[in-house]
Amino acid sequence: MTALLVRRILRLLIVAIGVSVVTFSILQASGDPVSLIMPEAPEADRAALRAALGLNDPLPLQFVRFVGNAAVGNFGHSFFHRTPALPLVLERMPPTLTLTVLSLGLALLVSIPVGILSAVRRGSLLDHATTVVVFLGQSMPVFWTGIMLILLFAVQWRFLPVSGWNDWWSAVLPALTLGSFSAPLLLRIVRSSMLDVIHLDYVRTARAKGLSEWFVICRHALTNAALPLVTVAGLQFGLLLGGAVITETVFAVPGVGRLIVGAIRQLDFPVVQASVFVLAMIIVTVNFAVDLLYIYLNPQVRVR
Amino acid sequence: MLRRSVLALVPTALLTLAVASPPAAAQAKDTLTVGLASIVSTLDPHMHFERVGILVNINMFDSLLHKSFKLEYEPSLAVSWKALSDTSWEFKLRKGVKFHNGDTMTAEDVKYSFDRVLEPGQTGKKKSPQYGNIRAIKEVRIVNPDTVHIVTEKPYPLLLERLVFFPIVPRKHIEKVGEQAFGESATAGTGPWKLVEYKRDQHIKLEAFDQHWRGRPAFTHLVFRGIPEVATQVAELKTGGVDIIRNVSADLVPDLKAHPQTYVTTAPILRTHYVHLDMRHAPFDKKLARQAANHAIDREAIVQRMMAGLGRVVPTVVHPSAFGYDASVTPYPYDPKKAKELLAKAGYPNGVDITLHSAFIEFRPVFEAIAQMLTEVGIRTTPKMWDPGPAWNKFFQTEGKATNGYYGSWGYYSVFDADAILHPLYHTEPGGWVGKHYIRVEGLDQLIDQARSTVDQSRRKQTYSQILRLLKEESPSIFLFHQFDTLGVSKKVEYAARGDEWLWLFAAKPKR
Repeated sequence: MTALLVRRILRLLIVAIGVSVVTFSILQASGDPVSLIMPEAPEADRAALRAALGLNDPLPLQFVRFVGNAAVGNFGHSFFHRTPALPLVLERMPPTLTLTVLSLGLALLVSIPVGILSAVRRGSLLDHATTVVVFLGQSMPVFWTGIMLILLFAVQWRFLPVSGWNDWWSAVLPALTLGSFSAPLLLRIVRSSMLDVIHLDYVRTARAKGLSEWFVICRHALTNAALPLVTVAGLQFGLLLGGAVITETVFAVPGVGRLIVGAIRQLDFPVVQASVFVLAMIIVTVNFAVDLLYIYLNPQVRVR
Repeated sequence: MLRRSVLALVPTALLTLAVASPPAAAQAKDTLTVGLASIVSTLDPHMHFERVGILVNINMFDSLLHKSFKLEYEPSLAVSWKALSDTSWEFKLRKGVKFHNGDTMTAEDVKYSFDRVLEPGQTGKKKSPQYGNIRAIKEVRIVNPDTVHIVTEKPYPLLLERLVFFPIVPRKHIEKVGEQAFGESATAGTGPWKLVEYKRDQHIKLEAFDQHWRGRPAFTHLVFRGIPEVATQVAELKTGGVDIIRNVSADLVPDLKAHPQTYVTTAPILRTHYVHLDMRHAPFDKKLARQAANHAIDREAIVQRMMAGLGRVVPTVVHPSAFGYDASVTPYPYDPKKAKELLAKAGYPNGVDITLHSAFIEFRPVFEAIAQMLTEVGIRTTPKMWDPGPAWNKFFQTEGKATNGYYGSWGYYSVFDADAILHPLYHTEPGGWVGKHYIRVEGLDQLIDQARSTVDQSRRKQTYSQILRLLKEESPSIFLFHQFDTLGVSKKVEYAARGDEWLWLFAAKPKR
């Protein structure tokens, strides 16, 4: 158990280093931020700015400086906002995390019962309808879903705000949009993994013991079927976190996704680096949590 | 440590939303809401150069001069001004003007405002990005609390133009609260609205300033909301979530015109489009090839069919409303036959292959149409679209490599003078912008210099006429058109688009 934890924490460190190497080197290849900060300024002014930002130093020196600072949470000042990059990123995390948690929760809330039902009633009308919805859900691009929801709920029926981030109401449409993106996949996973276990001997044994169907499904079948679901849901969390960009843009949510896209467009190195780092850390943490859940769900892992 | 602080954000995040309230009702009548594509990174009017920032700043700050709806100079913080000599101007300041923090505006504040932009940046601290706009100013002298003299290095004909957007900031206040706070939370100007709340990438909330010298604006609350997605902006406008949106594209105009709650207002603006040609390399090292390219473009068709008529053909790059425009220089006619002849004479009877570049994403279809029109006369063009980010590095800054040309636009920084486009685009001095890479026109530099170093407007006019004729003959660019500013406005609000791309919301009125 302790060894497992140590291994996971080591992995976290390795990922941290990997992430910093990658973000640092990708950004170096992508151009000169000075010509973006002051595109129409004379060369002399640009040279001065380049020097002030330390962009003339040799790359290895820039990298060492970067890692040293990153270790203490200092990613430098944003070229554009002129404030430290990390707080800028953390300030934007709440909307993104809220959206991710809400939409994943929503997706799970829908996909687990519907997935179980369509597995148990395989070949029924409900099962077929579910398949159609899954296809539809997976083929609709998020921005399109978002705009359609706006047109329907906000423009046509007017009972939800179009965009913004003010209260719970304004979180409904973006969460629905993002949830409708991940629900179909989760639903498919629940259905197929339920189908895998539902005909196994131990389930039949449970039934033979005279347990209620409900108990058999939820306690015996679902626990085993949950493993792939937990894995995929964990991966989905990361995907939603990063994929929230489009949803944030459509709904004008001041989240970290928009910050990153803006920063990339402006070649605002420090902000991109800080946000990629923070997001990577969150994803690693979630993966860690998934591992722990595994241990809980599957005693075999504990024994090994 | 990092992980913990991040995880700690989750409950906070959920809590911030926990105080639920019903969906946003229609806005109060005394609130005007503007949807902008983004929210500027600082409210300090001297520390950015973003249009979305200028639009906010002008409603919170005043400059020495203002421009009327007809784009004529009007007194603002300066009540009168006169030239004392070729290089020295006197400005009498308005008396008793209050800043939002209660301080009275004096000559001290005026001098300080210029000095903080002109002073060289210290190490690690970025100098104002607006330095280039006013660097012709040598010194601002305080004569008495109500009078300043502005002294320029050389005769500087653009001085008054540059002063229309040059906000005056409160010296004592900034020295007290610091530059950082001034740009985020403690912003104070003399303008019609004062700051209530600034939230990055979300909104800027302003409130009418009771002691503003023009009087109270018609709307008590002014809100700027950052809404990046165009479809969302339109939905907000239709449902009353915002009252004004900018940059309505040609395809959306009919929809907003037809909608019962919105209307469209447009005005011609300075933003002028062009294809700059790389004169260092074949085929555009030959004048005839450049002229052929100019004859190949059906400008009128592009403006009418692709821009919904929201543009006007410009003979060179000098806009009809800019000082220096000369109507006797006419646009190249669309003449594909002549284009082919000229191309053959230039030595390309079988045509030639070129690549054009652009990072002007909003006008991608126009770029592709231009490429197609060139291809039809034998200048077989591959249009190459770049991301706005790294684009600049990759093409015209690459020395010694043929890049053929690029499609772009120039907004003159809202300065209505030929110099505001000729110098940055065509002057070849090392400090220049594009000219040094592409342009090789004998004598053009001298003419541009000559026109910018006198304040004798009739002499300047003559020089510009000469430059326009030279430009047309030499064709260093494919000359195109200028575009319109197009606003979508709620029928609850009365507002008309201005020719300088400003949103001067003091002029906005509620409609009854």
